[in-house]
Amino acid sequence: MKPIIETSLLSVGYRNGTQTREIISELNVSVNRGELIGIIGQNGIGKSTLLRTLTQLQPPLKGNVLIDGKDIAHFPKNEFARKVSFVSTEIIRLNHCTVRELVAFGRYPYTNWFGKLTQEDELAVSEAIGMVGMNNLAHRHINEISDGERQRAMIARSLAQDTDIIVLDEPTAFLDMPNKFEVVHLLCELTRKKQKTILFSSHDLNIAMKEADRLWLIMPDTFLDGAPEDLVLQHSISKIFEQTRLKFDSRKGEFSIRRKPVGYCQLTGKGTPLIWTKKALERIGFDTESETGDYAFDIDVIEISHSLFWDLKLPNGSGLRFASIYELTTFLKPTITSK
Amino acid sequence: MKKNLVIFSTLTISLLGVFVADLFWGSVHIPVKNILQALLWGNGGKEEWTLIVLDFRLPKALTAVLAGSALSISGLQMQTMFRNPLAGPYTLGISSGASLGVAFVLLGFSSVLGFHLDGIAANWVIVISAWLGAGAVLLLIFLVSLRINDIMTILILGIMFGSVSTAIVSVLQYFSNEVLLKSFLVWTMGSLGNVSGTHLWVLLPSVGIGLIISLLTIKMLNLMLLGENYARSMGLNVNLARFLIFFSTSILAGSITAFCGPIGFIGIAVPHICRMLFKTSDQKVLLFACIVVGAMLMLVSDLISQIPGSGMVLPINTVTALLGIPVVIWIIFRNQRISSI
Repeated sequence: MKPIIETSLLSVGYRNGTQTREIISELNVSVNRGELIGIIGQNGIGKSTLLRTLTQLQPPLKGNVLIDGKDIAHFPKNEFARKVSFVSTEIIRLNHCTVRELVAFGRYPYTNWFGKLTQEDELAVSEAIGMVGMNNLAHRHINEISDGERQRAMIARSLAQDTDIIVLDEPTAFLDMPNKFEVVHLLCELTRKKQKTILFSSHDLNIAMKEADRLWLIMPDTFLDGAPEDLVLQHSISKIFEQTRLKFDSRKGEFSIRRKPVGYCQLTGKGTPLIWTKKALERIGFDTESETGDYAFDIDVIEISHSLFWDLKLPNGSGLRFASIYELTTFLKPTITSK
Repeated sequence: MKKNLVIFSTLTISLLGVFVADLFWGSVHIPVKNILQALLWGNGGKEEWTLIVLDFRLPKALTAVLAGSALSISGLQMQTMFRNPLAGPYTLGISSGASLGVAFVLLGFSSVLGFHLDGIAANWVIVISAWLGAGAVLLLIFLVSLRINDIMTILILGIMFGSVSTAIVSVLQYFSNEVLLKSFLVWTMGSLGNVSGTHLWVLLPSVGIGLIISLLTIKMLNLMLLGENYARSMGLNVNLARFLIFFSTSILAGSITAFCGPIGFIGIAVPHICRMLFKTSDQKVLLFACIVVGAMLMLVSDLISQIPGSGMVLPINTVTALLGIPVVIWIIFRNQRISSI
């Protein structure tokens, strides 16, 4: 399959007078049609700069970007606007502008000099609004809807623009948890149902890993490219966090704060209660697997007639029973500080 | 759509009403019948009445229409372009540039070179120098905008250029004699009545050209509403758009400043009034609304500026400020949404 986007020795960065600041150097990547690509990296690493270069909002320092085999520098402006659409981090604030009017902006590359919308344009606008599930909000003003809804409206605008490629800069930046997931999932659906090729940058590795076909990890001096699972297996994901206090658990696929255990306790029990008790103990600083077999406490999670109990056995042999994890951790916390 | 049509019709009828009222209203009382006769047959009974109606009131009313429309369109363009509700034809230093051009001629040349201008020739020299002054400031801003992409920086530079122009004007004023200073100060007060029939034949095509170019920029302005990145990503040639918008604004605001002196607050207030009336951000609707509302507000200002029977006429920019500032304040207090356009 012929790639839809290709870069050859692409260097991106800023040119300020005679000085240049190269942020990403000599990048060779290709993107296939219908892929959802998440671009991950720290702030200031060059995610936005890369996206701005791919969308022709700024020129590359060196190298080329090819779309459908054609250098983007040679695209006429209007033709490029029918090929690639862009959603930025910027929050659009406009008085007296409805969702429908906002989405209709996407039709501008297709309208005449006066910007008149034809029936076909109106149809495309309605369809785009439907695709993001905002039919019932179409006539609301964009200042009155939530951030998540506004972001969906901006995505609808790029759908109305009817481009093969959609590029989004931090589409989840200002959103709450459910909206973050919904927006990224919407992008995922668009690649499946509409064969769109979508690139988005994000801080939310968790969400990107769950939905994206590919991740581009941008690190100082390194650029990694692969399916999220490949990157995990190559230990690339854990490498990103080597310098930080975060730790990525390859087996569970989750992040946690790196802590030095304050003590060990032996945990017995089964099922979900066991997992969550372990999490709670880790949260207050206890590890449940001691290499020396030296444990400060024994905790047993038991179930008696549909009620959970936590039996704690202290080193001196005495025992205590708790009815919730909260009670257990409240009891255990002072023993840590006294150590 | 239907609602817009109703508002437009109402506004247009009101505009006609105010226009007629402006012909009838004046420092000299002339019977209605004589005014009509003067307009229709060129003979208003008394020779001075015919003269007043045809050579003074009619050109003045037409100038008010042109000035109000031109300044309002220019204000709308600047507010959209800079996405700043407080932008206007004056924020970029266009009017200061025009003033500088006029000051050079009225104060500089006359005193340094020792020649004195008179009559029609003087007016033409003033007009052209105002255009050159306004154009120079805009050219400077345009060149800067090719290098600096940030629109706020350009706005700040516009204010700086304006301040420099004003400073140079002050220096020129300081060194000029009483007679020259007075003629310059009279010009800065602004007057619609300066425009005679022959001037109108220059003002009309100038504003016409500015208006046609501004019609071509409607789609560009709409795209600019979302900011330059989005505008560019939707295929807009941003540099061409900036050039056309600046060009039409300098023609519109520059011509009016040249003929009528600096007239403030119409440019800022009218686009806001139009947004409130039509409740839309569509530049197509707003641009036509600005033409009608701007013309109307200017005619009303002119009506207020003259006190019948007394022969006294207030400077027009005093009236527009007195009318315009409350409108701006009222908008801020009413919906507190002046922070966005």
